[in-house]
Amino acid sequence: MPAVARGPRRRSLTWLQGLGCGAAVALVPAAALLLGVLLLPGMLSVAYDRQPGRPVARTVLLCGAAAVVAPAMALWNAGATIDASLALLGDLRVTGTAWSAAAVGWILAELAPVVALAVLETVTAARAARLRSERDKLASEWGFEND
Amino acid sequence: MAASPETLIAGRYAVQLGQPVPEAGGGLPCFVAQDHHTGDTGLIAIQVRRDAPARFHALQMLVQPIDGLLCPLAHGTAPAPRGDAGYFVICPAPPGPSLAGHLRPWPEAALISFALRPIALVLEKLAGHNLTHRAIRLNNVFQGGRGQPLVLGAAWAAPPAMHQPGLFEPPYSAMCHPAGRGDGSIADDVYALGVLLLALALGRVPMAELDDIAILRRKLEQGSHAGLVGDERLPPLISDLLRGMLAEDPEHRPTPTLLLDPGVARSRRVAARPPRRAQRPLSVGDVTVWDARSLAFALGIQYEQGTNALRSGMVMQWLRRGVGDAALASHVDELVRSRMADAPTEESRPDAMLLMRAVASIDPLSPLCWRGTALWPDGLGALLVAAAADPAVTVTLEDMVAAEAGATWANLRPDRSDLPLLRMEARQNRAWLATRGLAGGLPRLTYLLNPLLPCASPLLAGRWVTRLAEVPRAIEAAIAANPKTVPLDAHLAAFIAARGDSRMEAETNALTGTVQNPVGLPELRLLAELQVRQEAGPLPALAAWIVGAAAPMIALWSNRQRRRELTDRLKALAPAGQLLPMLVLLEDPSGRAADAAGARVAAAELNRIDAELLAISASNAQRRNAATRIGQEIAAGVGLVAFAAMLALAVLG
Repeated sequence: MPAVARGPRRRSLTWLQGLGCGAAVALVPAAALLLGVLLLPGMLSVAYDRQPGRPVARTVLLCGAAAVVAPAMALWNAGATIDASLALLGDLRVTGTAWSAAAVGWILAELAPVVALAVLETVTAARAARLRSERDKLASEWGFEND
Repeated sequence: MAASPETLIAGRYAVQLGQPVPEAGGGLPCFVAQDHHTGDTGLIAIQVRRDAPARFHALQMLVQPIDGLLCPLAHGTAPAPRGDAGYFVICPAPPGPSLAGHLRPWPEAALISFALRPIALVLEKLAGHNLTHRAIRLNNVFQGGRGQPLVLGAAWAAPPAMHQPGLFEPPYSAMCHPAGRGDGSIADDVYALGVLLLALALGRVPMAELDDIAILRRKLEQGSHAGLVGDERLPPLISDLLRGMLAEDPEHRPTPTLLLDPGVARSRRVAARPPRRAQRPLSVGDVTVWDARSLAFALGIQYEQGTNALRSGMVMQWLRRGVGDAALASHVDELVRSRMADAPTEESRPDAMLLMRAVASIDPLSPLCWRGTALWPDGLGALLVAAAADPAVTVTLEDMVAAEAGATWANLRPDRSDLPLLRMEARQNRAWLATRGLAGGLPRLTYLLNPLLPCASPLLAGRWVTRLAEVPRAIEAAIAANPKTVPLDAHLAAFIAARGDSRMEAETNALTGTVQNPVGLPELRLLAELQVRQEAGPLPALAAWIVGAAAPMIALWSNRQRRRELTDRLKALAPAGQLLPMLVLLEDPSGRAADAAGARVAAAELNRIDAELLAISASNAQRRNAATRIGQEIAAGVGLVAFAAMLALAVLG
């Protein structure tokens, strides 16, 4: 395990996030409920993603957020009440879409590096083949076959 | 049958191999020769042996005929009896049979008029040319008929005195290897003439019952005159003359000029003392000696036993107490002590040097004795040739040359040697011997010291090549006869180096050929140089061979395409048989420089590619990380776009 260099000690912002969440629940409980449920996969991935910068959680949250825009607008138009929020949450299409988007984000975050690696390997192999061909030509032209 | 111009010697003399005249060559194979210009058949051709080269200096100097001597008219190659090439010296035929088969006692007047004076006159003329005969013996002296002066046979087809019986040689020459007797001095011919006069006066060969070694020992023990004449009764004039002519010391012998007036010559009395006989003998090896001269001889020819006798102190003790020569004993003792004081070593050279010094001190007239081989320094060349078949003697001579023994020996007897000349020759010989590379060492020294020695390269088997100009055509013929032959070996390289000039020497010194890679650029350069400078004409077989063996030279080029082009162009050039264009093509300094530069660039490019490939293979983890990062960024971007799109839709409505 690579040693982690100790940087300047950063103060934890968890209490600030808790304060923000508390404020949101207190001030806009309907929106907080809606977002909390629809973005639940994203928040779980934030909790479980230990990679620096949390790249998987980031993608899951962004995809989930994209699916939350429409329900959020609908809640707003419905007066931002707890009932409206519960009604939206009760609609499987809304919840399913949001969670599916989060799932797509997760799949994307997992598959994209594999695809990128495949592309990089292909490019590198092509370059190596071109170099080898060039080398063989030089060697045969100048008699370095045995080198 | 008409002889073709190629088989004529000097373009005019044909050797009649079907008409041998064995008694005319003084023991060497001899045939009737015919002059194609005049039709004269009164000539002989004396065949030269491969291992006994003809006397170059004498053949060069004797351009004018000398009455009473079979002077050389020409010399060169011609077919020999076995079908291969031979070398012959053309001379006038002798006027009659040799004395060997018709020995009878001659009266004093006949001896003076028909033997002494004519031969002394010949020797005087030879001495005027700075030459010696060194072949005055019964089978090489001829007489046209009774009352005719004697005629000396040819002595030019073999090294000086090589075929002389020990009887006719002074003891200090007879003890040498037959090929190592050297030109000697005219005094040696006077000695041989003295023996001839004695044989003619007696009508028989003196000491005929003894072999050469026994004759030599008797001469050393009793002195030549006493040993040869003994109690024989001779005419007084002849007896007086022989006393001087058979003197051990060459300086005590009368000159040929003096012999022309026997009356004066006989009055020149020589106070030659018989050797001092010891009271008791000394055994050196298997030789028992009674006097210092015999001791020097025994030490000189028996290296191991001689060294042991010297080291043990037996010699000094015997010289002091047996011979009674305390001064000589002290001198030898000093030499031995000096050697013993040296750091002990396994090398035999210091012992050889000690023995040589001791021999020269005990008998200053003795020849150079080195590890059991006796020779006169001017006989080194011919001896090297003769010793080629005897590795032990070859090693001895190589060691002697490397030690510059000739200079040391001359230094021990400065009044009897041309010290500066011998010193210079010794240094020069050592330098030649020390020349490294294909064309150096003993073969080169041998060819340098023997200008008429044919090249002994197996490539030229059956050919007699003595001149550089003959080499290219001989190689061409050898290659044409057997394309598997390699055109340049150590013997040929040494031969070319020896016969060529300084520029050619530089080329031969650069030769690097090996068995695996016999012909490289230096070899081709030398062959091309030979072809051009000797105006040898086209050599297509050799050129074709070089094309076949050019792979190592072409391999000096890096660019494969250029190699293919070179091969094609060489093949195109080969039929013309000119080596220089091929050399230019293969050498091409600017092309080689460009090729080398291109190869360097290619190598750098290759290294760069290798480094890049290495980096690619080493960057898997890096690439995986990058792919993860990129993938996550893309995923986040897609999410963001979706979110932004939904917001936009919500806002727009």
